[in-house]
Amino acid sequence: MTTFRQFMSSSSLSTVKDAGTSAIDSLKKAKSDPSKPPRYSAAGLLVKGAKSEEWPRVWREHDLKKSYDVVIIGGGVHGLATAYYLATNHGITNVAVLDKAYLGSGGSGRNTAIVRSNYLTPEGVAFYDRSLSLYNTMSSDLNLNVMFSERGHMTLAHTDSALRTMRWRAEVNKLQNINSSVIDPQEVKKLAPSLDVSPNTRYPIQGALYHPPGGTIRHDAVVWGYARGADHRGVEMHQQTEVLDIMVEGGEGPDGKGRGGKVTGVKTNRGDISAPIVVNCTAGWATLISDMAGVKLPINTHPLQAAVTEPVKVFLPTVVVSGSLHVYVSQTDRGELVFGASVDPFATYSMKGSLEFTEELAGHVLELMPNIGRMRLLRQWAGLCDMTPDYSPVMGFTPVEGFLCDVGWGTYGFKAGPVSGEQMAECIATQAVPKLIAPFELARFERGDLVGEKGAAAVGH
Amino acid sequence: MTRLPVQPGEVLDRTKSLSFEWNGERLTAFEGDTIASAILANGNRILARSMKYHRPRGLLTADFWDPNAFVQVGDDPNVRSAHRLVENGMDVSAQNVWPSLDYDIKAANGVVGRFLTAGFYYKTFMKPAKLWPAYEKVLAQFAPGGKVDLTTPHMYHDKRYAHPDVLVAGGGPAGMAAALGAAESGAQVMLVEHNHHLGGSLLWGSDADRAAAAELAAAVTAHDNIEVLINSTVTGRYEDNWCSIAQRSHHIAVERLIKARAKMLVVAPGLIERPYVFAGNDKPGVMLSGAAQRLINMYAVKPGQRAVVFTANAHGDSTVADLERAGIDVARVVDARTGGNVVAAKGGSKSVEEVELGDGTTVEADLLITAIGWTAPTSLLNLAGDRPQYDPAAARFFSSQLPDNILVTGGIAGDGTTDQLVAHGRSTGQHAAARAEVVAATLQKLTTRAADYDGDVPSFPADNRQPLGRDPHPELFRSTTHGLVDYSEDVGSKDLFAAAKEGYDSVELIKRFTTATMGPAQGKLETVNTVAVLAEARGETIAEVGTTVWRPPYAPITLGALGGRIFEPVRVSSIQPWHEANRATPILAGQWVRPEHYGNPDAEVRNTRENVGIIDVTPLGKLDLRGADVPKLLSMLYTNKWMQLPVGGVRYGVMCAEDGVVMDDGVTGHIADDHYIMTTTSSGAGGVWEWAENWLQTEHPDWDVHITPVTTAFTSINVAGPKSRELVAKLTDVDLDPEAFKYMQVRTGTIAGVENCFMWRIGFTGELSYELHVPSGYGLHVWETLLAEGADLGIKAFGLEAQRIMRLEKGHFIVGQDTDGLTKMPSVGMNGLIKLDKDDFAGKAELADSINRTDLPKVVAIQTTDPTIVPFEASQIVRAGTNEIIGRITSSRMSPTLNRSICLGQVLPEAAEPGSTLTVVMTSGERVTAKVMEHHAHYDPEGSRLRI
Ligand SMILES: Cc1cc2nc3c(=O)[nH]c(=O)nc-3n(C[C@H](O)[C@H](O)[C@H](O)COP(=O)(O)OP(=O)(O)OC[C@H]3O[C@@H](n4cnc5c(N)ncnc54)[C@H](O)[C@@H]3O)c2cc1C
Repeated sequence: MTTFRQFMSSSSLSTVKDAGTSAIDSLKKAKSDPSKPPRYSAAGLLVKGAKSEEWPRVWREHDLKKSYDVVIIGGGVHGLATAYYLATNHGITNVAVLDKAYLGSGGSGRNTAIVRSNYLTPEGVAFYDRSLSLYNTMSSDLNLNVMFSERGHMTLAHTDSALRTMRWRAEVNKLQNINSSVIDPQEVKKLAPSLDVSPNTRYPIQGALYHPPGGTIRHDAVVWGYARGADHRGVEMHQQTEVLDIMVEGGEGPDGKGRGGKVTGVKTNRGDISAPIVVNCTAGWATLISDMAGVKLPINTHPLQAAVTEPVKVFLPTVVVSGSLHVYVSQTDRGELVFGASVDPFATYSMKGSLEFTEELAGHVLELMPNIGRMRLLRQWAGLCDMTPDYSPVMGFTPVEGFLCDVGWGTYGFKAGPVSGEQMAECIATQAVPKLIAPFELARFERGDLVGEKGAAAVGH
Repeated sequence: MTRLPVQPGEVLDRTKSLSFEWNGERLTAFEGDTIASAILANGNRILARSMKYHRPRGLLTADFWDPNAFVQVGDDPNVRSAHRLVENGMDVSAQNVWPSLDYDIKAANGVVGRFLTAGFYYKTFMKPAKLWPAYEKVLAQFAPGGKVDLTTPHMYHDKRYAHPDVLVAGGGPAGMAAALGAAESGAQVMLVEHNHHLGGSLLWGSDADRAAAAELAAAVTAHDNIEVLINSTVTGRYEDNWCSIAQRSHHIAVERLIKARAKMLVVAPGLIERPYVFAGNDKPGVMLSGAAQRLINMYAVKPGQRAVVFTANAHGDSTVADLERAGIDVARVVDARTGGNVVAAKGGSKSVEEVELGDGTTVEADLLITAIGWTAPTSLLNLAGDRPQYDPAAARFFSSQLPDNILVTGGIAGDGTTDQLVAHGRSTGQHAAARAEVVAATLQKLTTRAADYDGDVPSFPADNRQPLGRDPHPELFRSTTHGLVDYSEDVGSKDLFAAAKEGYDSVELIKRFTTATMGPAQGKLETVNTVAVLAEARGETIAEVGTTVWRPPYAPITLGALGGRIFEPVRVSSIQPWHEANRATPILAGQWVRPEHYGNPDAEVRNTRENVGIIDVTPLGKLDLRGADVPKLLSMLYTNKWMQLPVGGVRYGVMCAEDGVVMDDGVTGHIADDHYIMTTTSSGAGGVWEWAENWLQTEHPDWDVHITPVTTAFTSINVAGPKSRELVAKLTDVDLDPEAFKYMQVRTGTIAGVENCFMWRIGFTGELSYELHVPSGYGLHVWETLLAEGADLGIKAFGLEAQRIMRLEKGHFIVGQDTDGLTKMPSVGMNGLIKLDKDDFAGKAELADSINRTDLPKVVAIQTTDPTIVPFEASQIVRAGTNEIIGRITSSRMSPTLNRSICLGQVLPEAAEPGSTLTVVMTSGERVTAKVMEHHAHYDPEGSRLRI
């Protein structure tokens, strides 16, 4: 097994050596990281408030260097978490995270921030459970309050067959020590009094899968927290830096790209960068980026829409999901109801919302909660989702050496940010695929070993 | 603050007085009063408290967008009190206050405000982690907004569709003129005005302004081609001018959604006056010039006693006269154009008391009016892809790139006298009408089924409109002091500076970090000031910083209006009346409601196995396939072969998706030459139809195949049991001799006197059975005839549950229950039906690979060791002594025929061999053993009963 260091020192990239930034150098740099920015705390707030002092930048701005050990494309939670764990767990800090817009401008700033681990397959459960535990300690790990709200997650069943799937999930979950069980309509009512659990509705609620450890999180805070943590450890974040092409040599494609090739760097709107390792963390844009390296991904990009209402006093204490009615809803601490649905049925990169979405959404929400018709929809938006055939991600190596992917996050990837970053960092540092993400390798599509999460992820988030 | 004598422009009807409650106190109002104007007229000044610091707030803009005027009206939260009209008996209360509007405990937050900078919560409460949930509860207490009443009924909310040639958003002078211009050119026009009256800013202007407004309004109202909607808002503009309109003025619906496909959209929303950022700018008594003018001129309310006016434009100047006419002492007019400035509003928390000016002087006043410029509400244009550009000379944004089907007029397009605005509006209307004709002609040409358009499609006429000018206006955003930028969110310029310094220094980041612009006005009052302060912090220009993308809707719209009448039809078969009369227990199956059983499913099973039973299987998907190439389609959809099925033959097929996963199964009969009927699973009916059409339309448009879904055209009845032949023989002319009509054959004929029926010999129950398909109108007749004729044979109807039991006894799998989203065809033990020697079929490539795999799970029949234990469906099968999952029970029942528990399940190959012992985990956690059976069928594995 080649480690990151061996990989780097065996790398034939002269530019990297010229720049004198081998992994070992960056390791040293990490240890002697000079910047010790002030920690966030209530006391800090008091002192700064009293002295009217400013806080330092969450992350600093830098000129783009000519080369990095690792270039991560995409400044969403996945790219930033990967950078953070590369620096924190492996001392690899000569890393650049590039984003064509601002950090969190993609799905990471547009999602409805539901986190949970009650997936259907053992692979899925183990993976998302790790993420949940990282979320649990994230506020103190990152020294930034990400407002993880462990408010419970309820997936309603309106039909026999849905109930059967809930039972299936509950049983799988229980065997893996995940707190998850099927509850009856009366218990549903107790947890969310606004729901109509009477038998007179068109799709009566027959029960629900209840997952107390699930909840919501402040998505932007997670993005900023990772960016800040990575910055403190020497990683560079570059906003407004768009990757225009990926340089690959020796591949079987006509231009030297594709299978058998080796990454040498990326071209951006701010200049070229050489790097032996390039990681694709671009979610909705994933195939555009992988095409640049000559790697085909079985991914289609679909828009996913969401909306919020005006705030009202909190009345919905848990997250409620209904697969049959294609809707899920939670209420933020600010009092807004946040709604989501399933992806739009067509593939596009457009992020425009549609009127039909709000109409269907409202209709379905009112079927669940018939008494909230006077609440007003305040804002709707869309984001892009990179959908794979088996509702599971594509992680790890690709047929192009040095080009890695952490994509295919569809409608459910926010909750996976921490564990993905942790595991991708390990994958890069050890140059071996960690066990937790082995089921999600790109090669599974060649072998025909898909992961069976469709049932649990379709509207579940 | 009191009611003024009659004002020339007031919109009140003083002959009609109303009464309502404000925080439990009875107040009076005149018809035409808004809730806010009435509260003010009764001598109150404070309407609400701010979100974070709970500071007392008075009116700021006195219109729909006022951030300080949200109230609860009965069960209606977040009502805009400066827009909603008073109705007799209304119950109005302040929201977000505790214990009362006058004395609010959370106002203490204001004292610690300097520590609670925007985003403070990100920096604290991290430790101890255990306490965060408690903190969170406290934070949630600060959620702004009113209360939802969980007994509010879902009200009348039908929707309306409209297809105007020209839709005009905004009923000010330019908008009204545009409507007239378009209507006079022959266009059908819909004119939508957000407020309660046509007229826009003329309404609170001079006598001449009001006269002009009245004249235009009269013309607009009188014109046959114009439909006027007041108190309605164009809330969104989607692809192709698909516009949503929230109509709040419907006579029944509280709010109604109108969906308009407008050939042309004219956007004329006017301008929204912008607040000035300075210390104390949220003290009650600080208000915009438009607010003062509305209050005095439209509502005859005196907003204060002694005023300072800070003005940078003619509107501010004209406010001075209005104030004086209302008897307000104008203590000082501060002119920004000559270098004047306002630095701070000072005083107690409940009112401004003095105003500190840029020249260092202080003036006593309880009213501070600012008139420092406008925000162009470009939201609808943004939704059409426009990216507005900032013009520093005019100090506001203008559209830069509009699609052909949108025009703008009025303040959003430029400045001018009323006459100039009207002239621009009128020419814009005329131009819109001309363009609408072109759009119509183009549509006619493009739509495949429309009549051919005669002649060439005209091109857009030249745009000869005289453009509006842009008046110079000083750039005024923030004074030398810090003040509030977002009133709804309690975000100040200081917060924005701090956030920018911290690195949240792009518009999008600062908005997310501080929540500025995220409140109920969605930035209409706040965005430009936010951008300006950010530009200041970054040392850049506003143009360099840019603006955020406005997202729909333009104004909030109720869920009730969006959801409309909830329309979720239920499908039932033509036999439903009988089922209901015979006390069937209903079960919901997708869109269908069908009988689960008629009291005793076990007895239904026994009777069917011994005598004869009938079941209503109408929901079974049925597709009528006609044409010479039907066999090719069938061969493409199913894994087995179809080219040789003779007329009269029926075949079973399994359909796979391209990934080899089982997606549907069913039988197809060859009815006559070039005519087949395919059946699908009940839940798969819609999907299979789409799937088949997809192959036809995208891959094989050359094939001669016509598909008609006939699921509900036929009522389907399965007659099952050893006596079924005897029964059916009584009703039909079809020769039922076992030699003439064999298992897996189809016949057409007459049943119970009904012609054009078909029937086939197949059976999910494992008994001899005939599935009858009769034209639906006769379904009930055939059903009742069967019952009558079968009385002496012991006939009984049976429901879905009995059928499920019988199919499980026979080991037939149900797609989606015994298979899942990953179950490839080799798992179901029907490899014989996978014909890889066919040229092509859906899933072939994948199946060619997976047919040889040895690691795929298998569907197997399972019996528990203890025959009385029925593991519930979804019970997991684990490797003995571990938690490692190796399979699961997919179906299970107590078999009334075998008197024991029977199951189907999926297990990994290691445990799939007949005779293997399995460990099944029960819900209780208890583990029981079970055995894999040799055949899928628990009962009659040879299938002898159905072939008799
Ligand atoms: C409406 C909605 C609701 C959702 N709800 C949930 C939920 O409740 N729970 C959940 O777990 N998940 C949810 N998701 C999914 C989740 O948001 C995403 O899976 C996740 O955010 C993906 O994160 P990421 O870091 O991989 O990608 P992103 O956050 O999308 O980041 C990708 C970044 O790549 C950048 N980029 C693209 N091309 C280039 C280029 N050429 N050069 C440089 N940079 C580039 C983009 O600017 C973007 O910032 C939801 C998604 C949406 C849209």
